[in-house]
Amino acid sequence: MAVKDKLKTDLFPTIWCPGCGIGLIMQQLASVMEELGLDKSNTVLITGIGCTGRMGAYMNFESVYTLHGRTLPVAEAIKLVRPELNVIVVSGDGDTASIGGNHLLHSIRRNPNLTVICNNNEIYGLTGGQTGPTTPQGTNTISSPAGATYSPINLQGLVNTNPNAYYAKTTVYHQGPMRKAIKEAIGWPGFAFVDVASQCIENNGRRIGFASANDMLQHYKTEYKAAPPGSTHLEPHQLGIVKGEPVAGPAGSDHGNGPASAEQNNGKS
Amino acid sequence: MTKRLVQGNEAVLRGAIHAGASYFCGYPISPSSEILAQASVYATTHPEFRFLQAEDEIASVNAILGASLAGAKSFTATSGPGFSLMQEAIGYGHKVGIPCVIVNVMRVGPGTGMPTMPGQGDLNQTRYGSTGDYTSIVFYPSTVAECYQYTIHAFNAAEESRSPVIILSDAFLGHLNEVADLDTIDVKVVKRTIEPLASGSTRLFSGVATYPDGEPATADSDEFIRQYYEGREHRLKVAEKYAFYEYGWNKDAETLVIAFGITRRIAQPLAAHFALFRPIRIWPTLDKELTEIAGRYKKIIVIEGSDGQYANVVERMLLRRVERVPLLGGRMSIEAIREGLGAIGMLPAELAPSGAVASATVR
Repeated sequence: MAVKDKLKTDLFPTIWCPGCGIGLIMQQLASVMEELGLDKSNTVLITGIGCTGRMGAYMNFESVYTLHGRTLPVAEAIKLVRPELNVIVVSGDGDTASIGGNHLLHSIRRNPNLTVICNNNEIYGLTGGQTGPTTPQGTNTISSPAGATYSPINLQGLVNTNPNAYYAKTTVYHQGPMRKAIKEAIGWPGFAFVDVASQCIENNGRRIGFASANDMLQHYKTEYKAAPPGSTHLEPHQLGIVKGEPVAGPAGSDHGNGPASAEQNNGKS
Repeated sequence: MTKRLVQGNEAVLRGAIHAGASYFCGYPISPSSEILAQASVYATTHPEFRFLQAEDEIASVNAILGASLAGAKSFTATSGPGFSLMQEAIGYGHKVGIPCVIVNVMRVGPGTGMPTMPGQGDLNQTRYGSTGDYTSIVFYPSTVAECYQYTIHAFNAAEESRSPVIILSDAFLGHLNEVADLDTIDVKVVKRTIEPLASGSTRLFSGVATYPDGEPATADSDEFIRQYYEGREHRLKVAEKYAFYEYGWNKDAETLVIAFGITRRIAQPLAAHFALFRPIRIWPTLDKELTEIAGRYKKIIVIEGSDGQYANVVERMLLRRVERVPLLGGRMSIEAIREGLGAIGMLPAELAPSGAVASATVR
C-alpha cells in the first residue's frame, strides 16, 4: 500500500482553490494513516461544512459529511457504538468553534477518544471571506471592513479545560511538527485536537496583503517558533503540544454514560 | 410480563427496546423526560444499550444519526421546542437516508409555551419543519399499549424507508398510566437495512447534493430531481404498508368526527352520536381511506389540540368544508369539546352540560 491509496485520486483535481492549505493537511494525514495502518475497515472520517468538509470525499475511507457544526455529536456517537474504530474529525475553524461551539465545549468535557484536526485559516473561506471565530482582531474581512472587532476564540484554553486532553498548534508550513501532532493525536486515548494554521489565499490572504500562497507559507515560517520544551501553555505563534494525563474520561465514549454508571452503581449496591 | 400499570412514556421506551434499539441520546424537556431517565436506568443494566444525555437537542438528533450509521438502531425523545431545534438534522436524515426514530411528546407552544400541558400543535412541524421537500412518516398512538405497538412500527418503517420516522405523543398520553400487558402485543421486528460504517467500502454520507461517487452535484438539477423522486417514491411505497387508522363509533350517524391521539380518547362520550375516523399514520395523510369514508357523511368535524392544523389538511384533501373544534391552551377535556361543538351548533341535545340525559349516553 502507498500513501496515494488513501486518496481517491480519480476525483482529482480537488475543488479547493490553487494555493489552498487544506491539501497539505490531507496529504500528511494520508501519510500518517499509511504509517499507522489505518484503512477503510478500521477508520472513519467525519467532516463538517466549509471547504475543509470536502476532504472526506477525497479519501478512501467511509465518511460522514455532516451538517454545519455537527461533526462532534456524530463522531462521538459513532465512537460510542463502535469503540474499535478510529474516528477522525476534520473541519474548519468556523464549523468547529463557532456554529459547533457548544458541541466543542461538551465534547472536550466528556473526553471521547476522538482525533479532531482543525483547518484553522482564520476566515470563512467558502462563503467568500467573512470574519470567523479565529480571525485576529483588526483583520479586514468582507464582513469587518474596519477590522474584526473582537479577539479570537482561545482554542487552546478551551481544549485544556480537560486535564486529559491533547492540544497541538502547528502550521501547514511545518510539515514535520504537523505530522508528529497528527500521529500522536490519533494514538491519544481521549480528546485530541490538532490546531493547524493554514492559508486561504483567495478569500483572505490577498485581501490582507499577501501576494501569493507561498508568501503566506513564508509568513508561517518566520512568524511561528517552537515553544520551549516542557511548555504548559503556548503563546500566540508558538508551535507546540500541550498534553494532559493520557486517560479516557469517565464518560469515556468507549463506554458511554450507561455502562460507566452501571459500574458505579454496581459498586455501590 | 403480566398486566400492570404502564405509563405512556415508558411504553414508548419499551417498544423501542423491543424493536432492537441500542442507542438513545436526549436532552431533558417536559413532558418527555421520563423516556430519557428510564433509558439511562435501562443502560445501567444493559451495557449493549448505549446512552448519552447530550448538551442540547441539536446534539441529540445528530448523535442518533451518527449512531445509526455506525450500526445501532437509535432514537431520541423531546417535545415541541426541542423538536424545532432538531429540524435541520431531520432534513439531513431524509437527504442522506438514515433510519432513526424521534419521539415528540407534545405540549402547548409556541415558544416555551405551557410545558406540562398537552397540545397537538406540532403536526405541521413534523411534516414541514425542515428546509426543502421530503416525505415524513409520522404515527400518533392514543393508548399506552399503542405507544408500545406503534413505536415498534416506527422503527420498522424507519428501517424500510431509510429515514427519520416520528412518533407523536402528548403530555396527557405520555403521563397516562393504563393497565397493559405489553408482552401480548406482537409486532414483527424489521432488521437493519443499512450496512454499518467501516464496511470496507468507501461510501460518503453527504447532506450536500452529490453523485453516487461522492463528487458534488450542487449545480446538476437533473440529478437532484432524479434522487428526489427516487426517495419520495420509495418512502410513499413503504408508508402504504403502515396505513393505520380506526373507523368506528356510530357509523350510521350523519356526521363524521375526526380525532387522533389523546383527543380521540377524550371524545369517547360522543360515540353514540357521531361516526369516528382516527388517523394513526398522521403523515403521509390517509387520502384514499379518508376520502372514501368521508364520502358517506354530510358533515365533518375535526377535534384537535391546535387551531386547525389537521382540519386544514382534511379540507384541502376533500375539497369540502370542515367544521373545527380547536382545543387550545392545554384545555383538552370533554367540557372543552362540548363547548366547541356548541359554538358551531353541533352539540347533540343529550350531551348538553345541563341535560340529565347526558350521562346516560356516555359510555
